[in-house]
Amino acid sequence: MQTIISLESQNLPANTSADVNVWVALDEPSEWTNFSQAHNNKVQEWESRLAIEGMHCAACAINVEKALKAVPGVLSAEVNSTSGRARLVWSAAVAKPSDWMRAVSKAGYRALPAADAFIQDDRRKNQRLMLWRLLVAGFCMMQVMMYAMPSYYASPGEMTVDALNLMRWASWILTLPVLFFSCGPFFSSALNDLKQRQISMDMPVTLGILITFIVSTAVTFEPSGWWGREVYFDSLTMFVFFLLTGRWIELRMRDRTAGSLDALMRRLPSSVERLKSDGNFERVAVRNLNVGDTVRVLPGEAFPADGTITLGTTNADEALLTGESRPVSKVIGSEAIAGSHNLSASVQVRIDKIGQSTRYAQIVALMERVAVDKPRLALLADRIARPFLLAVLFAAIGSAAFLWHTDHSRALMAAVAVLIVTCPCALSLATPAAMLTVSGALARSGVLVRRMQALEALTTIDTIVFDKTGTLTEDRMTIGKITTDVSMSEMQAIQTASAFAQYSLHPASRALVEASKRYPQTELNLEVVNVQEISGSGLTANSIYGHMKLGSAQFCGLDNVLINQLNDDTSKVHLVSEHGWLASFEIVEAIKPDAISAIRALQENNITVEVLSGDRLPSVQRIANMVGIHGVFANCTPQDKLEHIQALQQQGHQVAMVGDGLNDGPVLASAHVSIAMGQAVPLAQAQSDFVVMGGQLAMVPHLIIQAKRTMRIVKQNLIWAAVYNAVCVPLAVVGLLPAWLAGLGMALSSLLVILNAARLSRSVTPVQGAV
Amino acid sequence: MDILFLLVPLSVILVLLILGGLWWAINSGQFEDIEAEGERILHED
Repeated sequence: MQTIISLESQNLPANTSADVNVWVALDEPSEWTNFSQAHNNKVQEWESRLAIEGMHCAACAINVEKALKAVPGVLSAEVNSTSGRARLVWSAAVAKPSDWMRAVSKAGYRALPAADAFIQDDRRKNQRLMLWRLLVAGFCMMQVMMYAMPSYYASPGEMTVDALNLMRWASWILTLPVLFFSCGPFFSSALNDLKQRQISMDMPVTLGILITFIVSTAVTFEPSGWWGREVYFDSLTMFVFFLLTGRWIELRMRDRTAGSLDALMRRLPSSVERLKSDGNFERVAVRNLNVGDTVRVLPGEAFPADGTITLGTTNADEALLTGESRPVSKVIGSEAIAGSHNLSASVQVRIDKIGQSTRYAQIVALMERVAVDKPRLALLADRIARPFLLAVLFAAIGSAAFLWHTDHSRALMAAVAVLIVTCPCALSLATPAAMLTVSGALARSGVLVRRMQALEALTTIDTIVFDKTGTLTEDRMTIGKITTDVSMSEMQAIQTASAFAQYSLHPASRALVEASKRYPQTELNLEVVNVQEISGSGLTANSIYGHMKLGSAQFCGLDNVLINQLNDDTSKVHLVSEHGWLASFEIVEAIKPDAISAIRALQENNITVEVLSGDRLPSVQRIANMVGIHGVFANCTPQDKLEHIQALQQQGHQVAMVGDGLNDGPVLASAHVSIAMGQAVPLAQAQSDFVVMGGQLAMVPHLIIQAKRTMRIVKQNLIWAAVYNAVCVPLAVVGLLPAWLAGLGMALSSLLVILNAARLSRSVTPVQGAV
Repeated sequence: MDILFLLVPLSVILVLLILGGLWWAINSGQFEDIEAEGERILHED
């Protein structure tokens, strides 16, 4: 087996003996966690991510997928041609990583375990080589054009035969580096396809290049021969240059699109300073950290794992993880999230969670899964690509045969133009390019796309059903109406209450303290001593008013008469002194600050908004009135919610459900599109198509806008690809399209698709803008 | 026009030399991060 590999490695430059060593090293189970995780919690079943190199189009992705699936023990494999990434599930009982690495290599591509450090190096080497190929082709093209120009402008006989031959030989010499170096990727990929007896878009290109070169070379060395009198070195170098330009820009765009994914994945530092038992720090690799270790994180560094700050205060940038764009202040006791950046000062952190259990790792796993999720339209385009290429080959042969009797060389060049001009890539890139760009853009604003197809479904939504708690409302409480005794002003009441509420962490106490900040800070300077918290009831303290109580009606000893005067059924906190009742504070749920504008934006776009809650009617109604929702359904069990959604669907509505992703899992799953507000939810459990990490409601209308833009761009791309091929192929078949123009057209058509998709990465401001 | 027989081969050599220079520039990383170099002047050290 080993010898076979080394023999092959001479044919395939990508497959070196160093690779073989890496594969064998990967068979060590301790290495697996770097690029894999247990699949569905089953022992022996692993889910791994790979970066695949050498793929140019959808047909390549299919080849890699086939090769992976053919390996015994590989349970499933998905490859995304746009992101260059693969996800596979394999059984450790049957297969080893080296088995499937070898399979990819045999198919003519190169697999690297993703999340591995040397991807970066490899990518850089790749980019340098690609740029070098492009520049070689570019400079040679310019010079070859110079040599070709005189023969276009000179009248017959003006140039001596010797001078003409000199120009041709010089062109020939400068075409050699283009052919043997710059065209390398086309040739090696076409050769692989031949070996595998399949067809991809590099095959027609390679045929075109070879035919042009052979015709021109024959004419150069035998000017009066059978091949005619024209050389086409200028066309050859030009279309190679155009094709490579297209490929190079595509590569850069892909890197940039994958960038938001990578920016996320590469956020963890590789090493960190760990506190040793003697009080000094040592630098250790992040993967050697254990729960309970204390590490020092310097300003500018990323937090290596989830933990608690034990020393120092700082600000952290959590934008990529929660969508919160402002720096978040961190004091002793605050939680630090793996992957967020420490901005201002050096802090010490006790590690609470490491590796795959961190929120960061869950986000990355989600993002990677999405990157290989193929939308329906993309699958359709993939299926068309292959018969399309076969048709192109036949069209080229037909074109040559049709023009053969007039002029051999012209007939051959017409066939070349047909081979070069067709662009199945534009067709198969149309959907994935747009989908990937938009999910990258959404990720930057704090929304994870878990199912690409949901973007398509989101455009036809006419009803959105919101859950209440944690979705429309904040987790915290706020103070509503304040009722006071005649002896006290509202301000005095709340300042007195907050003076001892500040010693408690109860949500109601925190709401009081928060509310007191709305009033001007006076010189009241109320001193409270002896604050005691009676769990589940309230607080007691001594102050200038004597012994005071803050808490429930029963705890404060209020009589029924007074309670009835205060009437209604909202929950309240009361303040009493030993002389009697002083004030009552209504405790209500706080709606999210962006709820009103988000709901209005949805309603303005003719989307029916409803709220569906398990809570009591008055409190649901109150929230609904505040945010302006008319359809209110309270006292719902999860079963009721499910039935309500299904009833709506039966009436023909397209329903989206927005929930917290935890309690309403089945309800979310039954809606056409589901959006989870994911602040408090373990991401892996969130059963939804989208996860809004920061929980901002403004993201819901934003998502709909983005989905509509995406589908518009996908349609534009598909129409463009179809029109381009429909116009250019017939022109080339009848010989009206010169080969260089064909190369330009092909490169431009792919580029246009990618650039059009790139428009999606410019995000529109949430809420504003027409849906 | 005989000068062509000197200049044309010379131009071929020149192109190859330029390509050699570009190869050096690429591999010393000059095209790696074009945007950052442009922004560097705007940042204080």
